[in-house]
Amino acid sequence: MNSTAIKEKKIKGSLKEKSQKLMGIGPEDAKLTKSYMAVAFIALLIGGALGLLQGLERAGLLQLPHWFNYYQVLTAHGVLLVLVLTAFFTIGYFYAGLSHTLGGLLPQVRKMAWIGFWMKVVGLVFAVVPIIQNKASVLYTFYPPMAASPYFYIGLALIVIGVWMCAFGAFINIAKWRKQNPGKHIPIFAFFATGVFVLLFFGSIGVTIEVLTLIAWSFGWKATVNVLLSRTLFWSFGHTLVNIWYMTAISAWYVIVPKIIGGRRFSDTLTRVVIILLVISNIPGGFHHQIVDPGMSQTLKFLHLFMSLSIGFPSLMTAFACVYVFEKTGRKLGGKGLFGWLKKLPWGDVRFLAPMIAMIAFIPAGAGGIAQTSNQLNQVVHNTLWVVGHFHLTVGTSVILTFFGISYWLIPYISKRVLTPRMNKVGIVQTIIWTLGMLFMSGAMHWVGLLGSPRRTSYTTYGNNATALGWDPYLIFLAVGGTLLIIGVLIQVFAVFHMMFFAPKGETEFPIAEAEEPEEKTPMWTDRWGLWIVIMLIVVSMGYVVPVVDLIVNAPPGSPPFITW
Amino acid sequence: MKQSKYGLALLLFMAIPPMASVLESIMIMHMHMQMPLLVISGFLMAPFFQSKLPKFFAKWNEDGIPGILLFTLVMVYWMIPKTMDDALTTTSVELFKFISLPFLAGVPLRDSWNKIGSGSKKIVFIVFTALFYVMGFLYIKAPIQLCNNYLLIDQITLGWGYMTMAICFSIYLIYLAFIDKQESPIQL
Ligand code: HEM
Ligand SMILES: [Cu+2]
Repeated sequence: MNSTAIKEKKIKGSLKEKSQKLMGIGPEDAKLTKSYMAVAFIALLIGGALGLLQGLERAGLLQLPHWFNYYQVLTAHGVLLVLVLTAFFTIGYFYAGLSHTLGGLLPQVRKMAWIGFWMKVVGLVFAVVPIIQNKASVLYTFYPPMAASPYFYIGLALIVIGVWMCAFGAFINIAKWRKQNPGKHIPIFAFFATGVFVLLFFGSIGVTIEVLTLIAWSFGWKATVNVLLSRTLFWSFGHTLVNIWYMTAISAWYVIVPKIIGGRRFSDTLTRVVIILLVISNIPGGFHHQIVDPGMSQTLKFLHLFMSLSIGFPSLMTAFACVYVFEKTGRKLGGKGLFGWLKKLPWGDVRFLAPMIAMIAFIPAGAGGIAQTSNQLNQVVHNTLWVVGHFHLTVGTSVILTFFGISYWLIPYISKRVLTPRMNKVGIVQTIIWTLGMLFMSGAMHWVGLLGSPRRTSYTTYGNNATALGWDPYLIFLAVGGTLLIIGVLIQVFAVFHMMFFAPKGETEFPIAEAEEPEEKTPMWTDRWGLWIVIMLIVVSMGYVVPVVDLIVNAPPGSPPFITW
Repeated sequence: MKQSKYGLALLLFMAIPPMASVLESIMIMHMHMQMPLLVISGFLMAPFFQSKLPKFFAKWNEDGIPGILLFTLVMVYWMIPKTMDDALTTTSVELFKFISLPFLAGVPLRDSWNKIGSGSKKIVFIVFTALFYVMGFLYIKAPIQLCNNYLLIDQITLGWGYMTMAICFSIYLIYLAFIDKQESPIQL
């Protein structure tokens, strides 16, 4: 390519970007994100209602009928909230951001995202029908040897392929942008998107292999399945998924929140380094979910303790970055003294308050996670309600509250409407209710888990055993929290659809903060995604080759399918 | 020069007997962790030797080719199963490992890498990728123990270690071949 052609392309590219930034999102890109958001929040509504049923049942306040039993409800709750809500939100959010920062989606990328959308919706229907028929009460982790109807697994496979469509769409759009903007850095938001979609794709390869095996097994084409290998493949994905949510949430903490409070974002280079570190070091962490699995050697568990804790490093850097930006902005706004800057932050703005509480919740959540990843401490809480308390704090609060906070500007942005002061108040109330609800529910779960109450178990007193009866008071707190939460769900879903269809018309901006030192030169090597991916793959092989070869070569006889419910 | 100190510290750390015996107790860690780390220690120490003996490097490694050949030779030597066995049983061979990998592989690699052209770099990369496939195949398929000191399962694991590395290298080569050279000049 000669240099004038490059220049021409540059001018064309930047013109398109400028017009996009002035005019807001194009109607077609907006429709795409709206559809993703609509599915996400409907999933929240249904999943939340099922959560309440579970909470009431576990407290002994409600007996679910045999045609709609606890494990069916729990499976649907997990699938809807952990897979559907998060996946649809993440994709909708990043696609809106890609459209904004890259000057609109390419037509073929938009098409891919739509194909992905419908594959996921069809997959969801495939997965949900057997759940409703009580033929797939295997919970969202679908561990063999429990066997669901093959259609459940086919549905999951379709969902994964739908996600891959969106991942590749994003790669194509970013690659095209780079071609048109030679020598420029990938915009920070698109950089986050790249990290997330890289993890989504590579992190789900293992689980796809697992699901394909399970399809053959549940159809009866394959007599047995290697249980431990399946669990390992599942967690290579499950753990990565957790970090995909985390990265989605921190994309808002690093890029969006600083703009909302009127500040600048943290060092561009360091932000990119955090993203790269998260991508590289992530996938092998999955073993910490299998700490008490038999057949995993001590050495291996020790090595994976190291892998898990190494993710703590970028997390701590994130905590530092956030507080740094807050303090700097607070002081710029006139905050004095050691903590005066805190008062200057816009606590009355839901777009700040919700992600801020999310960040604060991450402090105990992360501490709990570090405790759990240690073998001896894990023995105490493994498979108790503690764990459920933990992830309602991480996903249910840190991640979801960030998503809620995002919705108060993203939904108006894609709908060409505005956030009214009244809706902002609704959002504040919603945030407070959600926080209180999770405080009650997650707090009770943590505590009663330490007392030994198991997770994934419908209400029982074990023949009026004294220990089991001792759990009851805490379980009542759990139900109280659940009730508050469902109120929060209703308000949130109302807010989303109101902002989508009824709020006053107007322009809302996509808030992306300027870098701290705009003239600071971010080194070019940060953009070498091919290199990061290869390093990630090398780290994955270092983590997985030893155990997986062992699990296959030294495998016990496989297991036939069982229906335990 | 700081780097050189880190390199020396790494080498000494690797040489602590308990550290060495932990890494040598598992075949794949012996070959894919200890040995590369020894090379890296030499790589880090290279600036020290380059500054002390500039004439030596200029004379003997003018275009980088002798250095890269020496590096390749030493690496290939340590890929032979018998040499690992010997290192475990004979102290002098173990000593040779701790000398050859840092000083005869790591140091020349650093000195040569910037001297050889991008074509040679590619050749080295491709040769090692091919070699890794071959070694992977050998260790996975060999029906008998190749080392007295390691079990068959260790050997198969190492084979898969080679295979996955070779696949990673291949992906990188493909990536280099296809990306727009203008934005990211090849710098392996
Ligand atoms: C209305 C709000 C919610 C309520 C009342 C609620 C309640 C519950 C309860 C009672 C359990 C069952 C514990 C057990 O028996 O093991 C549970 C499990 C779970 N919840 Fe929630 N939850 C809510 C929101 C969420 C959200 C927002 C997420 C994630 C985004 C989430 C993810 C999960 C997951 C993954 C499980 C585990 C399912 C399993 O063990 O298979 N929940 N929830
Ligand atoms: Cu995890």
